[in-house]
Amino acid sequence: MNRITAILRNKRMLKILIPVIGLGGLAATAVVVLIVVFVLRAWWGLPLPILGYGEGPDQPIAFPHTVHVEQIGLDCTFCHRNVTKGATAGIPPVQQCMFCHIIAGDGKPEVEKLRTAFANEQPIDWVRVHRLPDHVRFIHEAHISFFSQKNNIEPSAVCSTCHGDVGGMTKVKQVRSLKMGDCVNCHRDYDAPTDCLTCHY
Amino acid sequence: MAQQSEHKWGMVIDLDKCIGCQACVIACQAENNVPLNTEEIFNQKRAIEWIRVERYWEGEFPNVKARFLPVLCQHCENAPCEPVCPVYATYHNQEGLNVQVYNRCVGTRYCQNNCPYHVRFFNYWTPQWPESLRNQLNPDVTVRSRGIMEKCTFCIQRIRRTTRNAKREGRKLEDGLLQPACAQACPTSTLTFGDLNDPDSKVSQLAKNSRNYKLLEKLGTDPNVIYLKKVDPKAAEELHA
Repeated sequence: MNRITAILRNKRMLKILIPVIGLGGLAATAVVVLIVVFVLRAWWGLPLPILGYGEGPDQPIAFPHTVHVEQIGLDCTFCHRNVTKGATAGIPPVQQCMFCHIIAGDGKPEVEKLRTAFANEQPIDWVRVHRLPDHVRFIHEAHISFFSQKNNIEPSAVCSTCHGDVGGMTKVKQVRSLKMGDCVNCHRDYDAPTDCLTCHY
Repeated sequence: MAQQSEHKWGMVIDLDKCIGCQACVIACQAENNVPLNTEEIFNQKRAIEWIRVERYWEGEFPNVKARFLPVLCQHCENAPCEPVCPVYATYHNQEGLNVQVYNRCVGTRYCQNNCPYHVRFFNYWTPQWPESLRNQLNPDVTVRSRGIMEKCTFCIQRIRRTTRNAKREGRKLEDGLLQPACAQACPTSTLTFGDLNDPDSKVSQLAKNSRNYKLLEKLGTDPNVIYLKKVDPKAAEELHA
């Protein structure tokens, strides 16, 4: 106690102490505010695009959608074949990749990874980017057919409504929060049912 | 946006046909990811059976007869379980279904206490399946976690799938196309499922049968499950004699 009072009585020490405490407090407050904002943003929507949260996860094979969609011009439904038929869009099986890659992409290390997996009959452990909670039943087919009929567009033109411009992404990331508020707002806009039993069962 | 539905789902259970084989119980268990009921759980009276077959004995020993009564959620129009839920996790939808919203449920168990039919079940434990049954789970049905209520949904996943397919193919939903797991498994077609709003459907026709009654009708719950009384041959003989 005595030592602290001695420091506080020493005017020269105080001159150094006061700004140190003040700046330290400000910095600490800023850090706390940043953490709170980050957590709340992640809770309500998507996390702030810092510290690598703005990009998608690393995939076992660096599959560039840009090459396949923008350069080659493949349709979404060419690979994700189940999207117009069932609940899930589906990741194409390795064999489907090999339809083309048995001749295409010689000498590229990522394509070689694919060929090795196919030769060893190993599935590729893609990292899931869009995941809804277990108590939500989202049916891709219903949404695709509704929007393609309503706007009279190709099924593959509907995907970007929720998934963004995947064709322009080298690494796929989530662009919409896909929380319940997001779903319900859209359902209200398009006069779709908002009965709980539409999605939760 | 609340839209009035054209359907009102209901079921007719003809007790004259029921042989008490429990096929409906097993089918339901498999279809709806209902956890396994071990002997220990059963003795604690915490077993989960969305549909059960109650067995009654009638008469004295040599002339004893077994009577069976399949009981499932009655999907009451005036459901006693609904007003007691503090978080609106259970409500009545436009299709005549009594709905349990798992993600809203906080597990007060008020609805279970207020249900006169004992068809609501609480998950006292996190459900567990042996490794061999891991791939048996139905992906169209939520696996309920510990601490929430569950009950018969009339196989809503099948209703949704069949109506969706019918809509996509631009045809009307035919009667009899839609069957919950219990009705599909029943070897004697005791259970008939269908649209009570459609006067020509099989359920509507069967519901008009003079043997019809509803379980605990005096309580005024107005169930959507209609029972047809067992035909007693002896009584019929006496009547005609």
